Amino acid sequence: MSIPRGHRPEAHPTETVSRREALQRGLAAGGAMAFASWLASCQTQSGGMTIGVAFETLQTEYWVASIETIRAELKKRGFAMLEAIADGDANRQFEQVKSFITRGVDGIIIAPKDKHTVIPMIRAANKANIPIVLYNRPPAESDAKSVTVVADNYAITSATVEYMVGEARKTGRKHKAMILIGDLGDVNSIGRRDGFYDVVKKYPDVIDPDIQGIPTEWNQEKALAGVTNALQAHPDISFIFTSSDFMFPSIVSALKKAGKYKKIGEEGHVILGGFDGDATAYQMLVDKYLDADGVQDMFFESEQAVQAIVDLKAGKEVPPIIHDKGFVIHQGNLEEASKRMWGAQFKK
Amino acid sequence: MAPRKLIQTLLASEYFVLILTALYFLALWPFTPQLGSWRNIQHIFSNMLPLLVVAIGQTFVLITAGIDLSVTAVLALASVIGASLITRDGGVLAGSFLAVPVSVLAMLAVGLAIGGLNGAAVAWLKMPPFIVTLTTMMFVSGFAVLFTRSNKIANLDPAFITLGAGGVGGIPNALVIAAVLAAATHIILSRTPTGRRLYAVGHNIKSAAVSGVPVAQTILFAYLVSGFCAALASVLYTARLETGDPELGERILLDIIGATVIGGTSLFGGKGKISWTVFGVLFFTLLDNSLNIRGYSHFTIQIIKGAVILLAALLDTLRNRWLAAT
Repeated sequence: MSIPRGHRPEAHPTETVSRREALQRGLAAGGAMAFASWLASCQTQSGGMTIGVAFETLQTEYWVASIETIRAELKKRGFAMLEAIADGDANRQFEQVKSFITRGVDGIIIAPKDKHTVIPMIRAANKANIPIVLYNRPPAESDAKSVTVVADNYAITSATVEYMVGEARKTGRKHKAMILIGDLGDVNSIGRRDGFYDVVKKYPDVIDPDIQGIPTEWNQEKALAGVTNALQAHPDISFIFTSSDFMFPSIVSALKKAGKYKKIGEEGHVILGGFDGDATAYQMLVDKYLDADGVQDMFFESEQAVQAIVDLKAGKEVPPIIHDKGFVIHQGNLEEASKRMWGAQFKK
Repeated sequence: MAPRKLIQTLLASEYFVLILTALYFLALWPFTPQLGSWRNIQHIFSNMLPLLVVAIGQTFVLITAGIDLSVTAVLALASVIGASLITRDGGVLAGSFLAVPVSVLAMLAVGLAIGGLNGAAVAWLKMPPFIVTLTTMMFVSGFAVLFTRSNKIANLDPAFITLGAGGVGGIPNALVIAAVLAAATHIILSRTPTGRRLYAVGHNIKSAAVSGVPVAQTILFAYLVSGFCAALASVLYTARLETGDPELGERILLDIIGATVIGGTSLFGGKGKISWTVFGVLFFTLLDNSLNIRGYSHFTIQIIKGAVILLAALLDTLRNRWLAAT
C-alpha cells in the first residue's frame, strides 16, 4: 500500500529516542566487552625466557621464513617471543628495542636495518645488561658488544659460482657473465659480490673478463630494468648470478622477454645461479631452469641465535661472529639437499 | 555530574585527545605494568620528541589548508648533509669546534631552502600543495640517495650525538629543543598577527585577501616553518641514530600527518593548535609503545593502530558535529 506524499507517518519521538538509546547502549556494551577481552589478553605470559625479536622488514620470503623459523625454535624450547617489525625505519626499530628493554626481555634477536644504525640499539641493550644477537647482518665496528649469526656469504657464493663455471666449461665455449649486485652498504652484498668476481676471474678461458655488474640496491624494479637493459646491450649474456633469490622473478621476466628462458640442456640455456635458498629457487631447480643456488642454512642460524642468547645469559663465552657455512644445491644433489633448503621445506 | 553531562563536557573539552590518552593509559596500565614504569615513560617522551618537532611544522601548513609531503625528504637530505660535514671518516669539520654549530646550521638551511621552494610554488605560482610537495619529496629524496650513493654516514662527531642522546642536569637536550620550539610556535600561532593571518588564510583564502592579509607571504611562512621543523627533527633523529641516513624518515609520513590530525588539526585548514599536536603525537607514540610492549605480531599491530586511528577520527567528527549543533 502506498502512502501519499506528505502523509508519511513519522516515528513516535519517544520510540525514536528509545531505539537510539538502545543502539547506544548496545554499542557501548559491545565496545566495553571487546575492550575488556583485549585487556584480558594483555596479561603477561609466564614460563621460560622471553625473547624480543625485532626484524627490519618482512618484505621478502627470506625474512618471513626467518622469523617463522626463530618462532618455531623458541617454541621448541618453551620460550615466549615478542615480535616487532620496523617496516624499514631505523628509528622505529630503535624504539622497539627500547620497548623490549622496558618489558624486561631476557634477550633480543635483531635483524637490523643496517650496520650503523644498529649501534645505538646494541648500546641500549648493553646498558640494560640484556644479551643481543644480530641475525644475518653484522654491525659496523664499535665498542658495542653483540653476537652476530651470519651466513658465510663469500664462501657460499664462491662454491655456487664454482659449480656454475663447471657447467659452463661443459658447453665447450666461452660465456659472457652478469651479476646482480645488492646494496653496497650491506656487507652481505659485498661478500657475495666478491665471492662471484674472485671465482670468475680465475677462469678467463670460460668466462669473458668483461663482466656486467647490475646494481640493484635490493630493489626488484631496478633489477628488472638493469637486466633488461643489459640483455639488450649484450645479447650474448649466457651466465647470470643473482646476489639474492628474490630477484629471480625480475631475471625470468627479462629472459622471457629476450626469448632466452630455456631449460637446462635446451639450446640457448642461460646458466643461472642464485643465493638464499627460497621457494622460487627451489621450484626453478625442480623445473630445471636453475643450475645452482647457494643456501643459507636458516635452521642452523635460528638455532644458533637462540643458543647464543641462552649461553650469554648463562655467562658463557660466545664468539662475536657465528658463521653459517651453508651449502650449494644443484641438479646433482637436489633430492638430498632440498631436505635442508628452507625454501623447499616452507613450500612443502 | 550526570553521565550525559560528563560526556558532553568531555567532548567539548580542548583536552579531549589528552583525556583519551590518559584513559587509554589508565585502562591498560593494570594489565601491562611495564607501561607505567619510569623507564618506559622516559622512553615514550624521548620517542615522541623528534616526531613532535616535525609535526609542529606540519601543523602550520595544515592550518593554511595546505599539506607538506616533502618533510620526509627534508629529514633525509638534511641528515646526510649534516653528517657528511662532521663524520670522522673524512668530514671537513670533523674534530673542529665549529662542527656542531655549522652542521646544524647547514641542516636548518637545507630545510628552509626546501620549505621556501615549496612555499613559493604554492603561494605565487598557485600550484596545488599536494603536487608541489610530492614532486619535491621525489626530487630531494632521490638527491639524498645520489649524494651518498645510498650509503649511510657513520662515525659522527660525539658532540653532535649528544644533541639527540645527551642532556644537562638529567634533562635531555632533545626535550629542551622540542619544548622551546613548541613554546615559540604556540606564541606565534596564538599571540601574533602572523598567527591570526595563518588561520585566516586557511579558513577562507579569498576573505583573507580581501581583508588585507598578505596571503602569499603567509603561505610562504608556513612552508618555511615546516621545512625548518623537519630539518630540526633531522638533527634529533641523526644524533639519536648516530648515522646520516639517506632513507631517514622514508616511512613516517603517515605518522606525522596522522598524529597531527588526531590531535584535532583540520586537513581542510583554519583549525589547529600546537597543544593539540602535542596531544596527538603523545597519543600516537603511546599507542605504538603499548602495542610493542605487548609484543603483538606486526599484522595485529597494524590492524589495531588503523582501528584506533579510525575511531579517534570518528570521535573527532562526531564531536565537531555535536559542537556545531549546540
